[in-house]
Amino acid sequence: MNAEQPRKRVREGWLSDRLGWGGISTALAKHRAPRRGFVFYLGGITLFLLLVQVLSGVLLVLYYKPDSTNAHASVERIVGEIPYGDLIRGVHVWASDFFVACLVAHLFTIVIRRSYKPPHELTWLSGLVSLVIGIGMAFTGAILPWSQKAYAQARVGSEIAHNIPLIGGWMHRLLRGGQEVTSNTLSNAYGFHVAVLPATVTLLVGLHLFFLSRKPAPVPVSEQVVDEEPGAQGEADAAKAPAAPVDDDDTIPLYPDFLYRQAVAWVGVLVAVLTLAIFADRPLGEAADPRLSSTGAQPPWYFLPFHQIIRSSPRELLGIDGAKFIVGATCFLGALVVALPFLDRKGSKLMAWAGWIVLFVLFLLATSALS
Amino acid sequence: MSNDEPKSPPRRDFLGIAVGGSATVFAVAAGYPVARFIEPRTRPPSGPTVVGKVLEFPPGTVKSVMVDERPVLVVRAADGQFRAFSALCSHLQCVVGYAPERNQIECPCHRGVYSMDGQNIGGPPPRPLEELQVSVNEGAIIVSSVG
Repeated sequence: MNAEQPRKRVREGWLSDRLGWGGISTALAKHRAPRRGFVFYLGGITLFLLLVQVLSGVLLVLYYKPDSTNAHASVERIVGEIPYGDLIRGVHVWASDFFVACLVAHLFTIVIRRSYKPPHELTWLSGLVSLVIGIGMAFTGAILPWSQKAYAQARVGSEIAHNIPLIGGWMHRLLRGGQEVTSNTLSNAYGFHVAVLPATVTLLVGLHLFFLSRKPAPVPVSEQVVDEEPGAQGEADAAKAPAAPVDDDDTIPLYPDFLYRQAVAWVGVLVAVLTLAIFADRPLGEAADPRLSSTGAQPPWYFLPFHQIIRSSPRELLGIDGAKFIVGATCFLGALVVALPFLDRKGSKLMAWAGWIVLFVLFLLATSALS
Repeated sequence: MSNDEPKSPPRRDFLGIAVGGSATVFAVAAGYPVARFIEPRTRPPSGPTVVGKVLEFPPGTVKSVMVDERPVLVVRAADGQFRAFSALCSHLQCVVGYAPERNQIECPCHRGVYSMDGQNIGGPPPRPLEELQVSVNEGAIIVSSVG
């Protein structure tokens, strides 16, 4: 009897018995996932990056001080004095950027593949709210170092929120912790960043996975007939259509095949995050001085397209304050995106093209904002 | 059992309605104090603030000071007159700064431009800078947060 056997017995016997692992793995193996396509791994990678942020964030919380007098100094101490502090902060910051990038890429692949269409409305909605919360986590996290840049972001971000129709005033006061950007703003950002938003996104991701398990990802778009006009017969056919891929040549079992491949993707992402955290510095910048002009305060990359639109906007549009008009129009477009599965019930190819065009325009706006 | 006997809702349905109703009432009742708790209270302005001495502001000086937790630009013109403007851009509240090489006030965030009397003369800012009251008392410069 070799040394491996007792371990194997524990893995397949004692622990498996107590976890009921046999039943779980059998149930997971019954679910099928697409064999090809990197896009199908984006959701899992996003979830993994969330875990990386939670773990690195828990470590950073041990040294961070959430008040305007000590916040910047505490982050300086983390990166300058605490062993591996710069690495932990680097991992947290880069994982945050990758997280938002994966969320956005996940959204666009869903639109381009038209995977939002019924019966996937709940998966779509829970994913969209998670995206908003994810961007909120990145935004509140960017405020925490209380650098000059962070201060300007808190100012502009809360003022943009002020222009949101109906709830703008409340959002503005909530984000600032009052009328002005003060230490209260930092405390509120901290509370949201470490407690409210992570708890909410965890709940939403759980719901998202639950909805996905009930209505698995649809057949890849190349195998579907989606160009016919919607009608009573078409809708009836859609209702009868299989919810998950059925051709075994195009699918693999969720467990172990898909999850093992997913784990390989996670390792790849982790290596990329670690490499950037070690070799690509993310400067902290000077401590916030509210008296100084907000020079060089560029928003994070995911707000660059919006920044460019705001910067280029006239003072008034249709008799409305320019910034207010743009924020209102953005909210309206956001509402249309939320309602996409209800407006485009068949998942027309037009929406796939619209997705590509929007992506291209956002890229152009972001690059022009950098110039 | 006779068919004439009146039908009563099953006990499970009644319990379901009772629990659901209680949960709804509790959620609504708890929501109001929670919303009030997280809603920050508005603090009244603290009143006039001494921002420095006249000797610290030779003619042609522009300095940024804090009044009621807000950045304020105090401008002393060449003729010795004092003026004070909120240093928050009327566009999206970035902190504006004096650009001496162009003798104008600029917002670096979205390229807003103001003249030295606070008028919006370029870029997206929709309004002039908010002007605050300045007075001089026994050599001290006093700025009032109410314009």
